[in-house]
Amino acid sequence: MSLSLRQLVALAISTMAIVFSPIVGRAEDVPSFRRDVMPVLFRAGCNSGTCHGSARGKDGFMLSLFGYDAKGDYYRITQDLVGRRVNIAVPEQSLVLLKATGKVPHTGGELFKKDSPYYQAIYRWIEAGAPDDEDKVPEPVEITLTPERMVFTGAKATEQTKVMARYSDGSTRDVTHLARYLSNNSTTAVIDPNGKVTAGQHGDTYVFARFNRFTIGSEVIVLPADSNYQWTKPPAQNYVDKLVYDRLQKLHLLPSELADDETFVRRVFLDLTGVPPTPEQYATFVADKSPNKRDQLVDELLKTDAFADVWTAIWAESLRVKGGGYAPSATDIKAAETYFEWIREQMQQNRPLNEFVADQVVASGSNLTNGPANLYTMLVHDVRFIPKNFAADFSQLFTGVQIQCAECHNHPFDRWTMDDYYGFVSIFNGIQRKQGAEPREFYIYNNAAAAPAKNIVNDRPVPATVLGGETPIAPNTDPRVALAKWLTAPDNELFSRNLANRIWAHYMGRGLVEPLDDMRISNPPTNKPLLDALAQHLVDSKFNLRALVRDICTSRAYQLSSKPNATNALDDRQFSRSRLRRLRADVMLDTIVQVTGGERGFGNFPQGTKAIQFYPRTSGDTGGPHPGDPFFETFGRSSRATICACETKTEPTLSQTLHLIAGDTLQGRIGGGGVVPKLIESNATPEAIIETLYIRALSRKPSADELAGMLKLVGTSTKDRRVYEDLFWSLMNSTEFMFNH
Amino acid sequence: MIIDRPDNRIFRVVLRTALMVLAMSTAASAADPQPVNYDEHIKPIFRQYCFKCHGEDPQKADINLTSFTTILKGGSAGKIAVAGRASASLLFEAITNEDENARMPPKSPPLPAEKIELIRVWIQEGLLESSGSKSLASVRDLGFKPSATATIKADGPPPMPEKLPTVQVPVTKRPLPILAMAASPVAPLLAVSGQEHIKLIDLTNQQQVGVLPFLEGEPHVLRFSRDGRVLMAAGGRPVQSGKVVLYDVRSGQRLTAIGDEIDEVLAADLSPDQKLIALGGSGKVVKVYSTEDGSLKYKIAKHTDWITVVAFSPDGKQLATADRAGGMHLWEPKNGAILLTLAEHKSAIRTLDWRSDSRTLASGGEDGLLIWWDASDGWPAISKNGPHTPARPQGVYGKLPSGVLSASFGPTGQLLSAGRDRIVRLWDTNGNQISTFPIPESLPTQTAVSYDGATLIAGDAAGKIHFLRSPKP
Repeated sequence: MSLSLRQLVALAISTMAIVFSPIVGRAEDVPSFRRDVMPVLFRAGCNSGTCHGSARGKDGFMLSLFGYDAKGDYYRITQDLVGRRVNIAVPEQSLVLLKATGKVPHTGGELFKKDSPYYQAIYRWIEAGAPDDEDKVPEPVEITLTPERMVFTGAKATEQTKVMARYSDGSTRDVTHLARYLSNNSTTAVIDPNGKVTAGQHGDTYVFARFNRFTIGSEVIVLPADSNYQWTKPPAQNYVDKLVYDRLQKLHLLPSELADDETFVRRVFLDLTGVPPTPEQYATFVADKSPNKRDQLVDELLKTDAFADVWTAIWAESLRVKGGGYAPSATDIKAAETYFEWIREQMQQNRPLNEFVADQVVASGSNLTNGPANLYTMLVHDVRFIPKNFAADFSQLFTGVQIQCAECHNHPFDRWTMDDYYGFVSIFNGIQRKQGAEPREFYIYNNAAAAPAKNIVNDRPVPATVLGGETPIAPNTDPRVALAKWLTAPDNELFSRNLANRIWAHYMGRGLVEPLDDMRISNPPTNKPLLDALAQHLVDSKFNLRALVRDICTSRAYQLSSKPNATNALDDRQFSRSRLRRLRADVMLDTIVQVTGGERGFGNFPQGTKAIQFYPRTSGDTGGPHPGDPFFETFGRSSRATICACETKTEPTLSQTLHLIAGDTLQGRIGGGGVVPKLIESNATPEAIIETLYIRALSRKPSADELAGMLKLVGTSTKDRRVYEDLFWSLMNSTEFMFNH
Repeated sequence: MIIDRPDNRIFRVVLRTALMVLAMSTAASAADPQPVNYDEHIKPIFRQYCFKCHGEDPQKADINLTSFTTILKGGSAGKIAVAGRASASLLFEAITNEDENARMPPKSPPLPAEKIELIRVWIQEGLLESSGSKSLASVRDLGFKPSATATIKADGPPPMPEKLPTVQVPVTKRPLPILAMAASPVAPLLAVSGQEHIKLIDLTNQQQVGVLPFLEGEPHVLRFSRDGRVLMAAGGRPVQSGKVVLYDVRSGQRLTAIGDEIDEVLAADLSPDQKLIALGGSGKVVKVYSTEDGSLKYKIAKHTDWITVVAFSPDGKQLATADRAGGMHLWEPKNGAILLTLAEHKSAIRTLDWRSDSRTLASGGEDGLLIWWDASDGWPAISKNGPHTPARPQGVYGKLPSGVLSASFGPTGQLLSAGRDRIVRLWDTNGNQISTFPIPESLPTQTAVSYDGATLIAGDAAGKIHFLRSPKP
C-alpha cells in the first residue's frame, strides 16, 4: 500500500499542526503554571477583555486581563472554589478543561480539542497537583517576530511568521503557537491564528504578534500584481521630500503635481497665519517672479505675530486653558489669562519647545501670577489635584502615550506595565494646591514627603520613576525636576517624536502616527524614517518650532496638489498628495471676518480680539466645559473637556452647512462689511468685481466658465449690490471655501 | 426616643467594659475621658462640614444634622444612624463611600480620617447625645442554654453503620480535596467526601467503617439528620449535573435522590423533620423539595449570585441561605416567606452553622468576617473582622486572602472555624478564642465537631483529615 503525494502532504501538514517545539534547553519535569498554563489561557482567549479578562470576569469567573496577575489567576483557578475549576483527583473532570473543550455549556464555546497541546499543557499541570510556581519560573523578557518586513506582489500571496520569546534565564522558546495575532488593516493583509500572513489589496500595514506582556509588529507591503510602475523622479526640496519619496517608491505610488501659486498662497497663509491672504497679499505673491518666492513667503509668515497666535491657540487648547469655573479648581479667569499670555510670549519669542515644556513641568507658586504653574490647574480641571488623572493627561499630551491603560492592567498593546504607570503617577503624588489669601489664588507646590502611589494589584508602593526608567527618582526631592530633565532631553524620542508628529499633522492634515495622542507599538508611524528625521531635526535645531515648520512648508510634499493621479487615488496616509482639510473653527471665523470686512467681538475680551486669540472664559461659570461661543461649538473648537487631541473637530457636519446657509454669521457680515458697495462705488466692471470677490473668498481668479456663468446672473443689474452679495454668499458657502486644499 | 426595633430583647445596659476596646482604638477617645457624644464631639464636625446643606435650612434630603433629635428622625430616605452599627448607618456610608461622586461632602475631599473614626465610634457606642446619656445600642447575651430539643434521643443505640455493602472506590491521581464533612449529632461518626463516594469514620478509633457510593460525582455538602439516622449528600459534576441523595446510616441504603440540576449542588440541607430538602448552586435560586414525593415546594429567587450555603435551624423554624456576593437571608421553611435579611458580609459567604439552641447562627466568608448572629432579630452580636488573616509575608502588600471557609458549632456552643490563614481556631460562646490548631501543609477547607464535643476535626485541600483534639482511645 502506498500513499499518494497528496496524502503525504496532508499528513505532513496535519502533523505539523500538532507538533510544537518545547522550550529550548530546560528540564521539562514539573509542569509550571506560569510557563505552561498561563500562555494557554492567553492564547485561547480565556483572559481576553470580552471573556474572563473583563474587569468583573464573565459568568462568575475572573482572570486578569491578558494575564498581568499570574498570582491572582492561580488563586482564582485553584483556591477560590476548591475542587471545582481544577480537580486534582480526576484531572479530566476539572471545569477549566471541560469548559475549554466545550464538553459542558460554555459561553465561549470550544476553544481547543482534547488532543491539542493546549489541553495537554493544562492537563499535565493538574495531573501534577496544580502546583504553584511563584518566583521560580524565568519570565519572558523579549519577543521577536520574523520576518520583520514582508513585501507581497498581488493578493493571496502568503508567508508564515515565527515568534520567539527570550526568557530571563537566557533560554529561548518558539511561541508561534502560543502567540495571538492581529492586523492593523485586514484589507491589506490578514494574519491567521497560526501566524500565517495573506496579502490583500495594494497598500501597507502592520501585523502584530502578542505574547505575555509583549507586542511586536512586522511591516507588510502589498504591491499590485499587474503594475508597470515607473518612478518619475520629481525634484526633492529637502530631507522631507526624500523620505516621503522613499516611501512612495516602496509602495509604487507617485506624488501628485506641484500645486499652483494660487493654491499655495492660500494654503500657506491659512496654515501659518490662520487667515487667507488679503487681495493685496495675493496679488503681490502671484506677481512675484522670483524663483524661490515660496520659500521667501514661508520665511516672511514665520515672523508674523499671527504665526505665534496660531501656536498659542493650539497649545492653549492642548493645555486646556479656560477661565472661570468652580473656585476650588483654581481656574480663575485671572489664572487663565496669566497662563495664556505666558504661552503667547513663549511662542512670540520662539522659545525652544523643550524649555517651554520644562518651565511648566517644574513650575510652582501662584496660579494668578506665575503662568506656567497653571499646568497644575488647567491640564485637569478638578476641585482636587488628582495625580492619576494628571499623570495620564500629562503623558498623553507630552509623549503621546496613553499610559492610563496600565492603571488596571499592563498595557495590552504596548510595553507599559502597571509599575510603569504607578511609578509615573508617584511623580505627581506630592503636588498640592494650597489656597492663598484670596479665594481665587492657589499656590502650587510639591510635598517631597508624599507617599508614592500603590500598584492596585498588590498594593505595593511604587516610587516615582520616569516612563520606562530603570531607577526611581531620588526620594525627598521635587521629582518634577528629574521628570523635566528626562522628558525634554534630546535623546528622549517619546518627547521629540510626539512634538514632531503634532507639528507635522498641523500642516499636513494627518499625523505620521494617528491618532496623534496614541503612540504605541501597535500603532506605528506610516513613515518611520520620516518621523525619526523630523524628530531629529527638531532636536538638532534645539527644539526650534519655526525651523521645523520651515522644513515642512518649504518641502514639495507640503506644496503638492490635492488632485490625485492614477497611482495615488486610494492613498490617504503617505502624503502623495495634499489632503483636503476643513478649516479649524477659529481659522474659519477669522477668515469669514477678514473676507467680509468688519469685526467680530467676543464677550469678556477686548475689542479687536481675533477668534484665534480666544479661549473660553466665563466668570463664575460652573456649567462644565464649553467652547465659549456658539460658532465654535458648531464648528468643533475644543471645549477643553478632555485632553484628547480629538477635542478639536474638523469633520464637516450638516449643522455647519446650515449655519453658513441660514445662520447670521455670513448673511449679516456680507451686508454689514461693506465689501460689495465699495467695489460698486469704485466703478469697477462686473468682471472686476466678480474677480475681486473670488480672490477675497477663494484666493483665486474665477475660471472662464465660472466668470461667464456669474456674468449671466448679474445680467443688466450691474450696479445692484444684492446680486453681488448673493454671489459672494454662494462663494463662501462652497466646499472650496470651507477647506484648505 | 429609642431606635431599637420593637422585637429586640433589650438589655439596656451600658457595657462600659466592652466599649473600652472601641474607645481605646481612637486617639481622640484615649486622650478624652468623656465618651464620644454628639454635643461635644460630633456636632462640631457636622457644623464644619455638613450644616451648609443639612442644617435647619436648607435640609437637603430632609436631613437635619443640627440637633440630636432630628438626626434620630432621619431623612426622606429613612433612618440615617443605627445605634451600635456603623456598617448599617447611611450617615457613615455617605462619608466613607469610595465612589467620590456619591461621597459626602460633595465635590470635596473626604473628611479627615480621625473625624470619620470619631463618628464611627459614636455610632458603635450607641449614639450618645451628651457625656451623661445612655447608649442606645442594645447589649445582648448569647449565653448558651441547652434546650430540650437540642438532641433527639434515639430509641435504641446511636445509629452507626452496620455491615455496609462493599463499594468499589474509583482510583484517582491523588485524593479529592475535602469538600464536605459532617459529624453525627448523636454518634461517634464522621462522614467525609471522596471522589464519587463518602467515607464513614468511627471517631472512637478513627477507623473507616464503611463507604457509601455517590456516583453523581463529587459530594459538596454532607449533613446528618437530627437523629443521626439519615445522611444527606449533595453534589454532582461541574456544569453537568447535580443531586441530593439521602442514605440510611445503618444500612447504607439509598433512601431517595432529589433534584435534577444542570450544575453540581453547592449548598443543601435537610430539614429537622426530614420533610424538606433545600438546595442551591450556580443557578442563584434556592429550591425547596419535599422528600416525600420529590416535588418542588417553592423557590427563593432573591439571591443575586451563586448560592453557597443553606441551613435549617435545629428547631426547624428558620432556613438560612447565603450567596457568593455576601447576601444572606432567613426564611420561613414552610413557605419561603422572608423573615430577615442579614446584611453584613461584603463578599462570598462560605459557611453557615446553627447552634443547637437555634438562637445563634454563625457565618463566615471571603471578606474575612466571622459573625455570630442573634437569629431572633438578625443582629450581628459578635463580629470578628479577619480572624483568619494570615501573617503578612515580607514584601507582600495589600489585602491578603483572609476568608473564613468553615465554621461548626459543638454541642456546648463552642465554634470551630477554619480559614485561609491555615489555622483552625476554637471560640467560646462569647467569641473568645480558646485554642488554635495550625495546619501549615495545606488549606483547611472543612471543620466538624463530634457529637460529644470531644473530637475536633478538620479536612484540607490535599484530602487529608486532621484530628485536632480527641479523647485518648
